[in-house]
Amino acid sequence: MTGSKPAAPGAQAPPLGERAAPAEAEHGTRSLLSDQQLLAGARERIALTAEVTTQLAGSLNLRRTILRLFALVRPGMADWVMLAMADDSSSRLSLFGGKNPTFSTAVHRAEAEDLGLTRVLRSGRSELLHVVDTGHADGLDSMIPHDGLRSEATALRPADVLGVALTARGSTVGVLVLVRGAGRGFTEEDVALAEVVAARAATALDSARLYEERTRVASVLQSGLRPPVLPRPDGLRLAARFRAAAQHLDIGGDFYDVHGSGDDWLVVLGDVCGKGVEAAVLTGRARQSVRTAYHFDRRPGGVLAALNAVLYEEDSDRFVTVVCARVRPAADGRSAEVTLAVAGHPPPLLVRADGSVVETEVAGTVAGVLPDVAYTETALRLESGDTLLMFTDGIYEARGPDGCYGMDRLRALLPAYAGASPAVVCEAVERDVVEYLGGRAHDDMALFAVSCER
Amino acid sequence: MAEQSDQSDAVLDALGRFDGALASVDVDAAVAAVEGLLDDGVDPATVLVDVISSAQRIVGDRWQRGEWTVAEEHAATAVAVSATEAVARYARRVPATRGRVVVACAEREWHALPAMIVGTALRGAGWEVTLLGASTPPLRLSQYLQDLGPDATAVSCSVLGALPTTRRFIEASTSAGIPVVVGGSAFGVDGRRATALGATAWAASARDAVAVVAELPTVVPEAAPLPGPAVGEQAALELIHHRLFTGLRERWALAAQVVTTEQLPLDSVAAVAVDVVNQALHAVWSALLTGDPTTLSETAAWTAALLFARGVEPGLVDELGRLLAADLRDFPLARDLVDRHWTDGALTAGRP
Ligand code: B12
Repeated sequence: MTGSKPAAPGAQAPPLGERAAPAEAEHGTRSLLSDQQLLAGARERIALTAEVTTQLAGSLNLRRTILRLFALVRPGMADWVMLAMADDSSSRLSLFGGKNPTFSTAVHRAEAEDLGLTRVLRSGRSELLHVVDTGHADGLDSMIPHDGLRSEATALRPADVLGVALTARGSTVGVLVLVRGAGRGFTEEDVALAEVVAARAATALDSARLYEERTRVASVLQSGLRPPVLPRPDGLRLAARFRAAAQHLDIGGDFYDVHGSGDDWLVVLGDVCGKGVEAAVLTGRARQSVRTAYHFDRRPGGVLAALNAVLYEEDSDRFVTVVCARVRPAADGRSAEVTLAVAGHPPPLLVRADGSVVETEVAGTVAGVLPDVAYTETALRLESGDTLLMFTDGIYEARGPDGCYGMDRLRALLPAYAGASPAVVCEAVERDVVEYLGGRAHDDMALFAVSCER
Repeated sequence: MAEQSDQSDAVLDALGRFDGALASVDVDAAVAAVEGLLDDGVDPATVLVDVISSAQRIVGDRWQRGEWTVAEEHAATAVAVSATEAVARYARRVPATRGRVVVACAEREWHALPAMIVGTALRGAGWEVTLLGASTPPLRLSQYLQDLGPDATAVSCSVLGALPTTRRFIEASTSAGIPVVVGGSAFGVDGRRATALGATAWAASARDAVAVVAELPTVVPEAAPLPGPAVGEQAALELIHHRLFTGLRERWALAAQVVTTEQLPLDSVAAVAVDVVNQALHAVWSALLTGDPTTLSETAAWTAALLFARGVEPGLVDELGRLLAADLRDFPLARDLVDRHWTDGALTAGRP
């Protein structure tokens, strides 16, 4: 017979710590030494399992958890290691590792149907196979359903192959395949240790798998709620910044958008009450309403009136403040006509090229609380070097050691940035406000600056 | 050989044009200068390091000498950002085949361009790059690390004040097993501060960053804890920073009025006093966390240079050291560092 013969499945080995001393420990003078060795070995194993638990707890990312597991297992526990994970949502088996720990690939489960690997996956019981150094259909075939990976392991023949089930929360989610080369076969103890490690690893891997699924769902949903990439209209320069109150999220209750084409653009910046995910969902709806309204009426007053009507009819107690600026650049890029309207939003500041800072005169009711609101528009002209700066209340209400940041600080900062590009103005304001906070929590903050191209 | 020196002439020539473009805030000219080199086959890393970064250092010197305001420094940098974006467009033609690196600046770090330059160099070397930008909270970094599972984290740190938050980034990254490479002017001229903070690797330039990232281990152990007493003092100083800062600035500015002989410079001193006092306190934090006292002597030397350029009596540097040591009386390690190392720097630099 060529190939492999099943050996004592590790599942039958006694668990770590409850093991009877091996035979040679019962003989005379050697026993003391062996006891000590045993003790040292046991300590090492306990340390290793503790290590596995803490190390794997640090990562929720599946790929990083797998890499860490490999780093723990190799070279101490095996000369070669591969992980197979079952993917319930598809008929595939993901394979990771081998010689290159970052390698990954996938095979059809059908291809592995009659293999030892699938047996372990189904039964949740480990299998140890001894592979002799000739022949083809051996234990390596049985545990490694991939040509490239198998030939790596084949180089280690004669070898022992151990497939350990990764069982977490009641189901076997994968198999850890360990290979050892000549003279380093797996003892019963090694098998038991591998199982303890696998048990710890399984929970971490399963958590990471669940996290990854959630991340995929969340990032798809979130992508529509993130701040958009700004267009680069001819004749204008645009820049924006957003900093979320929930530090780990890139979404929140402040939003901005740019609509339009050619020489006619609409900049929208707004703030829904609340923060975090709930607020972000509402911004999604407000943004969509604005987009639709803009399709029918390009005037800021008209857009806001439509937004107000939609939000009012939605019959929620939520409201939104918004500033809308319709910007029409001149063909030479040296000036632009602006029409402004606001719904309960602080009026934008106009930073003139000469350093004067003017508060635009525009007012209007918040959107979503009253039926049938009309919004008045204000017109202004941006000349070369002027910047129109829109912002949300998270900017001037930022709380630092000396109270609120306030509009006065903002007005005092801006003259130095007269004539600077919108990106610089936004960065400077963001930095000044965040430094002022000195590490304190803050509301969502959004900034949008517009200037002529030249 | 001839070809090589032709190329370095071309690079020098472009640097001159690029510097002019920064000074006149001319985006088109700056982009043309770098695109010209790239079209002639000059390696993106060379353009990033020997043109854009070199020109930015000249910008910094102009600010330091009091020739440019912060707003001018900022405007020039926006031009350099546009030029870096132009290089990035070239870099993106290289297929991304090597894995992913998350590039970020920790909180209090607003120098976003160095991170962008390093990110662009890595992209040009075939890495997928996720750039998180200036002053990123550690929670946001962790979220990205867990979501993306990158092969490495790269942290750029230009100001000493961001070294403590950079350490938090190192903890966040290594506790997930992800190697972390650091760089930027706050780390000084070699890898000592980086090693002390538990970084996996350090590199001196964007070019070296590419080489270093290629050699990183796949998985790293969690960074070892920093020495307890020093960490304790640093954390306490960070907590009371605003109070220390306000007290020092008031007293030092007062001293400045007494000591300054000329009329004109007072304004400039007031303008830089905020930066100088902050920087001095941040140098203390850094010395505590990295165990490297040269952060103090360097900052004293830097202060001396700033003041000298503004025509101020150099004795003010020592004055600041004395005030600082007095205010740190409850922090034995910090105080000892200031006592022993502030004056070194004040003596060696900036004097006519
Ligand atoms: C532009 C600039 C700004 C802009 C930044 C805008 C932006 N979007 O980036 C603004 C105006 C915001 C700014 C603010 C300040 N700045 Co400033 N700034 C600069 C300047 C001129 C250029 C920075 C730059 O882009 N350098 C180009 C980069 C690419 O070069 P580099 O930093 O050497 O990076 C190379 C290597 O270090 C390495 N590297 C960098 N990062 C990384 C990361 C990794 C992972 C690796 C491996 C390698 C690596 O590779 C790079 C390329 O080869 C420098 C001058 C200088 N010498 O750098 C001052 C400078 C850094 N700033 C300084 C100061 C003092 C300040 C302020 C306190 C006051 C001020 N001048 O406004 C504030 C503090 C802000 C803060 N808390 O962060 C000082 C710092 C002094 C010190 N001893 O620490 C400098 C050195 C100016 C000076 N000569 O005094 N600044």
